[in-house]
Amino acid sequence: MHGSAEDPLVARIVAELRRPPPAHPDFDARVMAAVRRAPPSLPARTWTWLREPRTLAVSPLSGLAVAAGLAALFIVGGWAAARSGAAGRTARMAAAPAAERDAQTLVTFVFMAPGAQSVALAGDFDGWDRARMPMRRDASGLWTLDVPLPPGRYQYAFVVDGRRFVPDPAAPRAVGDDFGQPTSVVTVAGGAPRAVGGSL
Amino acid sequence: MSVRILGLTAVLGALALPALANAQTDRLTGRLDERTRAAVTGIVDSVRGAGVPADPLVNKALEGASKGADGARIVAAVRALAADLGRARAALGARSTEPELVAGAAALRAGASPAFLARLRGDYPREALVVPLAVMADLVARGVPADTAAQAVLALVQAGVREADLVAFRQSVERDIALGAPAGAAAAVRATAGDLATAGVPSTLGQTPPPPRPRKP
Repeated sequence: MHGSAEDPLVARIVAELRRPPPAHPDFDARVMAAVRRAPPSLPARTWTWLREPRTLAVSPLSGLAVAAGLAALFIVGGWAAARSGAAGRTARMAAAPAAERDAQTLVTFVFMAPGAQSVALAGDFDGWDRARMPMRRDASGLWTLDVPLPPGRYQYAFVVDGRRFVPDPAAPRAVGDDFGQPTSVVTVAGGAPRAVGGSL
Repeated sequence: MSVRILGLTAVLGALALPALANAQTDRLTGRLDERTRAAVTGIVDSVRGAGVPADPLVNKALEGASKGADGARIVAAVRALAADLGRARAALGARSTEPELVAGAAALRAGASPAFLARLRGDYPREALVVPLAVMADLVARGVPADTAAQAVLALVQAGVREADLVAFRQSVERDIALGAPAGAAAAVRATAGDLATAGVPSTLGQTPPPPRPRKP
């Protein structure tokens, strides 16, 4: 026997089955009361606790101690940061994380000066120290030095025999001559190693 | 009580700030005479609040000391650089990095207008502008008129040229100048799109073109 949607008997059975079962008149009220009685979740309780105002009683001596501790932390932290910065750009490079170091470009400074007894590199990257970055000489009188530098624009010069500043003849000169001795400029872009330099 | 604690902390912190500032200019100790060091430190402290970085100013003072310049000349150079860095920051924005400000100050000193810096930053708010600004300054140092240099750099940046290729472009212009070409003409010709392949930038534009640098919508 096969029923169909047009059969009135089948239609009544279906309608009967689809009718929701009768609920107790106070069913909804009891459900809502049960929900209200349930304890709030841990995050909700934590949030409520954090938002409620509190009164913190601290003695003057304790307050002073806390303030002094905070100030000491501030001073020591600032001093340490300043010391790391005071060592200059070169020192920061050495302390930089690996990813930052990887971003540096190895720049080879080259200077031809067969008659020089010593040649050093001085510039923005070493605090313009006359002796901090000595260059190496080969048999032909070519002086070279490799310096890792992050992208940027740096002024520099070669220090010949410890006293004479000589600009790099193969590099652009810095615009403006603040101290009567021209300086050269190297612009470092990220990427492959490069060589800069000329001859005396 | 908590208000008192905060107040006391603020007072102690304020007392510690001068010590912090002095520590940042420690590199000057022993390199400058006391009077010059005090003057340079004063300049550094006075512009620090305006966002001007201390390192380039200290480096400028150390350059003068190393070259045997007198104190007045060192102070004047540091003061001039502080002004240039401040102008660069005003044009490039407060979020600019220290290398960008250094390169921007050099570009301004070379003759670039603050409007050029501001336009570059406006077009490329998230890009590092160190190399474009430095190349612009370097071109001017080689004799390229400032307007021509600015237009050339802007055209190359808009064409999507990489930083290394910008440096290569500058070197090509330098070669042209060394061979006798007028500086302005060399930069203008090298910067035209048709000549990019011979301007030292074939690796990016001729073979594997990079995606255009994102521009501000």
